[in-house]
Amino acid sequence: MSFLSLIGVELKKIQHSKILWILLIPIVLLWIPAVINADLNFDTQLEGISPENNFLVQSFMGFAWFMYPASLVICTVLLNQTERSNRGILKMFSLPISRFKLCLAKFVVLLILAVVQMVMMLTMYFLCAAIASSIQDYQFILSPLIVLKEAGMIYLSSIPMATVYWMLATCIQTPIFSIGIGLATIVPSVLAINTKMWFLYPMCYPFMIITSEMHKMATNLGTFSYKLFPWIPVAMAFTVICLVISCIRFGQVEGR
Amino acid sequence: MSICLEYKKLKRTGFLPAFFGGGLLSAFVPIGNMMFRSEIFVNSPEPALKILFNANWQMMAMLNLFLIVIGACIMYHTEYADNAMQKMDALPIRQSSNFFSKFFILTVSIIAVLAIEAASLAFCIHHWFSLYDEFAIELLKSIGYAAILAVPTLILMTGIASICKNMWISLGVGIICMFVATMIPKTNFILSLFPFALPFQTLWDTESTRIFQFICGVGIETGVFGMAELIYLKVRRKFQ
Amino acid sequence: MNIIETNKLTKSYSDFMAVSNVDLHIRKGSIYGLLGPNGAGKSTIMKMFLGLMQPTSGSFTIDGKSYPTDRLKILSEIGSFIEGPAFYGNLSGEENLEIIRKILGLPKSSVSEVLDLMGLTEHRKRLAKKYSLGMKQRLGLAGALIGKPPILILDEPTNGLDPVGIHEVRNLIRYLPKKFECTVLISSHLLSEIELMVDDIGILNHGQLLFEGTLDEFRYSAGEKGYSTDKLEDTFLTMIEEDNRKRGAIR
Repeated sequence: MSFLSLIGVELKKIQHSKILWILLIPIVLLWIPAVINADLNFDTQLEGISPENNFLVQSFMGFAWFMYPASLVICTVLLNQTERSNRGILKMFSLPISRFKLCLAKFVVLLILAVVQMVMMLTMYFLCAAIASSIQDYQFILSPLIVLKEAGMIYLSSIPMATVYWMLATCIQTPIFSIGIGLATIVPSVLAINTKMWFLYPMCYPFMIITSEMHKMATNLGTFSYKLFPWIPVAMAFTVICLVISCIRFGQVEGR
Repeated sequence: MSICLEYKKLKRTGFLPAFFGGGLLSAFVPIGNMMFRSEIFVNSPEPALKILFNANWQMMAMLNLFLIVIGACIMYHTEYADNAMQKMDALPIRQSSNFFSKFFILTVSIIAVLAIEAASLAFCIHHWFSLYDEFAIELLKSIGYAAILAVPTLILMTGIASICKNMWISLGVGIICMFVATMIPKTNFILSLFPFALPFQTLWDTESTRIFQFICGVGIETGVFGMAELIYLKVRRKFQ
Repeated sequence: MNIIETNKLTKSYSDFMAVSNVDLHIRKGSIYGLLGPNGAGKSTIMKMFLGLMQPTSGSFTIDGKSYPTDRLKILSEIGSFIEGPAFYGNLSGEENLEIIRKILGLPKSSVSEVLDLMGLTEHRKRLAKKYSLGMKQRLGLAGALIGKPPILILDEPTNGLDPVGIHEVRNLIRYLPKKFECTVLISSHLLSEIELMVDDIGILNHGQLLFEGTLDEFRYSAGEKGYSTDKLEDTFLTMIEEDNRKRGAIR
């Protein structure tokens, strides 16, 4: 079986799991107050950020800091649980598929789900920016290129974090614990981005990126820059190590 | 007796390790913050405890909320997972006493976590600032206030967990409520009364008149949620 | 004297009748077998006795007490086993029984007694979720038998047991009334399975009671209707088929 069709099979497994709702609800909740409080975007002269930039970046910060990682955690556990709850995994293992491939296919599904949520986020942004523009009589919609760039950066920087969560979900059998630990690791990212060693904490990457972008837009807040070295090599190392560990553990734990 | 039984049911669910671990993690927040960036804090003219609360409480409160959400989910998961709830329904015991015992255990656990956090704050003051006379009383007051403000969340979350047979739904609802709470501006009194937003309040940035109002709010919310659960249990029996 | 009596007991859902106007009479100290194919309403009736379901109409009394006023009193007299075992997976077999014991306010020794009775003493320290299917079943039965309740309600208690286990449970149930002075209500979809232990039977199909009485009365009534009575199981199946056919004709 080719890797692509395996991914297709994995996507089929989550068809009726209501996972899309889990991804959508937080985004709707995120944007409703943003539209209601759109007028607050005009009180930002002190920071030196334009209202339209503020409208974009505030919601994306809320998204990158908490809701996006939390959604990833829940997706990882859900992907694992669909297999374990009715022992579907035993059936999968009795079919001629490599366990490694299976694990990777599931991880790709996780990345696809993250893309889906990001697309939802972008759609909601344009929708809400349009609504806010008509309410406040001010053009909030930014050029799609800028918005896509922000979303793309958050997404790419979240991949190491996704591998960490995937590893947690495959290694920790009790689902409530992998969720608990996953969620608990989100909170310290606020602390982590303020330290010099932030690149050692993959869970703060997306938040770091968006915070840095915010500081670029807000001219009076000073810079909050980051260097690509040693961040990129460290991030890649995290990604590879976590994926390898999860693939090894995936087979072992289920094979017992 | 019922409390003892509920405690017994938690054996090997990882409930206690979760609270202990969570308590340690959130106790590490102020210590870590001071370790990495003490220079920002030690030179501030404000009272040491106020500095610590302002710098760390958002994160600590969030971890406490996570614990409440997860704790409640674990408690009811053991009931629903292997159908034990049905056995309990067929025994001469009231579901309401079951619920309130669970709420009580969750409350005690969160108080234990707050105690660990208080110890860590005391350590920070001792290590990076200096201990002062009224410090112990101030710390007790702040933590006590935090404990009181957590009560509506505790009872509401236990209620949510008792309603949802599927643990993932109660967990999802809890997390979404937390997320909503993080977006509520702390300065808006009415919105801050949302149970999941209350634990983010601290004694230090609340006016004394407001403190009383918050405590009244807590009392009313707790009563309402408790009554709602009793009614729910009655209604559920009717519709089985 | 009847320990359980129902009066036009009915449970209906928007689209179908699970139980319709059933009048059961269960004698004190007897073993009463509730028979019927899957979905006949056996579990529904048992659940209503335990207050796990609300009757749509009709009423019942258990040991002179009526539902819902005396719900807790009724429950303290019944040991029950409904739709497979219900337990806390994170606790050992012994701990599970300990919880039930405390709620019922029984003496400490009752746990070890019932463990012994169900042959679980050896496995009492093992976690319930690690039990085999048969052991889970035994644990569920132990939870029903603990403290020798005056009334036992057992819903297909031999499901999932191996032939030896089925035999053991049957023998156990047969001697319960004498040993513990209790009344047993047991359900099954096979007459042959309970034929040897029951005193009375009630046959349900599509929520309606087709027959109630002793096995001899069943034989007699079946003979009158012209069914063969060589093997009671066949008689029972013919009766159900006949009823299904009538229903089909009405439809």
